[in-house]
Amino acid sequence: MIRKVSYLAVGVAIGAVCAGWTPQTVSAFGQSALAAAADTYRELNLFGDVFDKIRNDYVEKPDESKLIEAAINGMLSSLDPHSSYMDAKAYRDMQVQTKGEFGGLGIEVTEEDGLIKVVSPIDDTPAAKAGIMSGDIIAGIDDTPTQGMTLDQAVDKMRGSVNSSVRLKILRGPTKTVKEFKIVRDIIKVQSVRSHVEADDIGYIRITQFTEQTADGLKSAMEKLRADVPADKFKGYILDLRNNPGGLLDQSIDVANAFLDKGEIVSTRGRNPDDAQRFNARPGGDLSGGNPLVVLINGGSASASEIVSGALQDHKRATLIGTRSFGKGSVQTIMPLGQDGALRLTTARYYTPSGRSIQAKGIDPDIEILEDVPPDLKGKDDTKGEASLKGHLTNGAEEKSGSQAYVPTDPKDDKQLIAAVDLLHGVKRADIVPAKADAAGASPAPTPAPSDAPKDAPAPAKPDAAAPN
Amino acid sequence: MARGISYLALGVAFGAAVASFAPGGATPAAPSGVDELALFSRVFDKAREFYVDKPDDNKMVVAAINGMLASLDPHSAYLDAKALNDFQTTMKGEEFGGLGLEVMQEGGLVRVVSPIDDTPAARAGMMSGDIITRIDDTPVKGLTLKEAVDKMRGPANTSVRLEVSRGAAKETREFTIVREIIKVLPVRSRLESGDIGYIRITQFNQQTFDGLQTAIAKFRFAPGGDKLKGYILDLRNNPGGLLTQSIEVVNAFVDHGQIVSTRGRTVDQFQEYDARAGADLSQGKPLVVLINGGSASASEIVSGALQDLGRATLIGTRSFGKGSVQTVLSLGENGALKLTTARYYTPSGRSIQAKGIEPDIKIRENVPDDLKGKVDTKGEASLAGHLKNGDDEKTGSEAYVPPDPANDTQLIAAVEFLHGRSPTASAKEPAHSDN
Repeated sequence: MIRKVSYLAVGVAIGAVCAGWTPQTVSAFGQSALAAAADTYRELNLFGDVFDKIRNDYVEKPDESKLIEAAINGMLSSLDPHSSYMDAKAYRDMQVQTKGEFGGLGIEVTEEDGLIKVVSPIDDTPAAKAGIMSGDIIAGIDDTPTQGMTLDQAVDKMRGSVNSSVRLKILRGPTKTVKEFKIVRDIIKVQSVRSHVEADDIGYIRITQFTEQTADGLKSAMEKLRADVPADKFKGYILDLRNNPGGLLDQSIDVANAFLDKGEIVSTRGRNPDDAQRFNARPGGDLSGGNPLVVLINGGSASASEIVSGALQDHKRATLIGTRSFGKGSVQTIMPLGQDGALRLTTARYYTPSGRSIQAKGIDPDIEILEDVPPDLKGKDDTKGEASLKGHLTNGAEEKSGSQAYVPTDPKDDKQLIAAVDLLHGVKRADIVPAKADAAGASPAPTPAPSDAPKDAPAPAKPDAAAPN
Repeated sequence: MARGISYLALGVAFGAAVASFAPGGATPAAPSGVDELALFSRVFDKAREFYVDKPDDNKMVVAAINGMLASLDPHSAYLDAKALNDFQTTMKGEEFGGLGLEVMQEGGLVRVVSPIDDTPAARAGMMSGDIITRIDDTPVKGLTLKEAVDKMRGPANTSVRLEVSRGAAKETREFTIVREIIKVLPVRSRLESGDIGYIRITQFNQQTFDGLQTAIAKFRFAPGGDKLKGYILDLRNNPGGLLTQSIEVVNAFVDHGQIVSTRGRTVDQFQEYDARAGADLSQGKPLVVLINGGSASASEIVSGALQDLGRATLIGTRSFGKGSVQTVLSLGENGALKLTTARYYTPSGRSIQAKGIEPDIKIRENVPDDLKGKVDTKGEASLAGHLKNGDDEKTGSEAYVPPDPANDTQLIAAVEFLHGRSPTASAKEPAHSDN
């Protein structure tokens, strides 16, 4: 069994995790268990009775496995919005997402007006080597036209086992020149970590999701940034977790550990007190050399992202800039069901080192900075947040709903990023005061920024429509 | 086994029916469902053991049953003990303490379809189209229709406060109304222009045929057979009810011929219902049936049979299109299952499922401006997961009936027709219709 911090309703469906799972399944079958078994039997009997009546009397012959799937989904969605059933295909897709690698070509594609369009070929992949270019329209895959296919279907067709080949029919440029490519599939790693040197002296690292590759990707990014910027010039790191819907619990722990040398990172508690688990930083795991750190969060930062930002905030290791995070404070466990797919079940809540649950509350940044949202996106850029999801696990009286989840495409317009750079450069600005001032004993510094922006607008943001294949 | 033609998604959901239950013996699971059931119980067990909080077993199973039934079609549903009791009350036509409002759900709120004549709601001045926003101190937003209805009902002589938003201006009003015993009369009748027997059936429950019989007897006595020009049977906004009652109603106007047939998956679901000779009470008088987008199910059986048998002229707009039969199957102390078990066919063999019945003379009502766009039913064909019926499915139509008969274009056309003036001949739509 696998334990994971699941990904979130926020959008990009990427999942999940793994640490070990203690084989506690064979628990005692005591007195109370027997009494409970009788009740359970009664309930299951009612269900079986209804199922039989449908099978025997429904006006048409029902599809039994569809019936059961609908029943399972009905049951799980009555629990909370993050518990669900994955059929065999959904489970495979989730594993691919989680693993962060698959057999494919290395193209990021998107759907535009019903056409499958290349966003960009990923460096060093078969697609890039073959000469696929940004803006190419994929008109056919092997002998099937893509017309009428969903993005998912097209991506499925392009993926496949390593060393197998696929033919693409491409329309290029304004003249729609037809080109044919035959490309051999290879292992493609989904880049969950991207980094660059910002303003000559800051290491900017963006994590888009927490997959099995994330901690390794972070490590190489940090090594490269250190090599690119002389140590005496290096001003610090920006860790961008905006619109990161989450992923694997153990990866979020490793990521926090890369900036912490000791102390608790997160604890999880399930129904039984015995199931509580505490995760501590491994000494020697800190790769950051104690350099200053800013973490960027927004309404699209959920789950594993909130574990990382919560831990770094509680330890006063980082200053959080942006807007309130999503507020998903629960842990899902993936339980395979043989060939039938898998169950994703909420099994625990997690708590930051100071013991707070962020469930339906989110993490408030130390410095709130709102982005300027273009007029056509106004009201559409806010996530509703966990507190607004129907049937969410409740968490006391002061729940808080979502916040802005817009990140400007041009970094020059990115006010949150600019604030982070200014903070690390020590630029004096009335609206940004480092969180550490607090640690130094000064009066609490948080400076709520302009709060006239829409707070409760509908429609969750869609962080990222591009699907790599 | 009780067979009901159930109540419709349309609205007025204090629903529905029953007759006696067969013992409903537990059928042993045939081998083919075993794997599926095993998968379900594995998931159930895991949720019981590992879910973050201790789950409520019964709630989980009910959610599973509802999920499963919703995947079949919009009319199959689970009735827990209370819902079953309400259903039986409605089908028996029993009395309850309440206000006398017919309501439906609209945009998460509850809209008054109409206050029932001579009830506290009507006397307090509640009107069709009023939106109920608050019941006592509870906001209606977030309540299901059933929950709202339950809150409005209560013992006679107790009072309830309603906050209502009225008209296009959404003017807020408060009413404090004292509950009374409400007897839902499924049949109401009156003499129209001195020589026409007007009979309105609001639903097909166990009182319906008796009510119809009484009404016809009354008209045969006064003005009497010689003077009576004919009957108007008003089935507008009648969401349906019991199959058996719809057959009796048809039989009151025909003397022979098939009324309806039902076909399910099994042989015993194939049944033909024929008119009993001698049961015709109408003495061959001309008959007009009024239908609209709110006429569903049992109403469509009646209008379809009378149309196919050439017995009536149908005036109004296309009916809803619910061509399926639900059976109420007992689950012992756990309530009952309302399951779609058959389709029905009119005497000529057509299924009206997702198509509806077209009137012989199409007449539309003049809809007041503030109700425009809100009075059309979407029809069966627009319900998610409805049973399919070929390529030429048709969606709903208007379901508005003016409260004042003087403005009721369809009724006026029916009277003209029975008086021998062919009403605006062929389906003229009113001059200022809303298109």
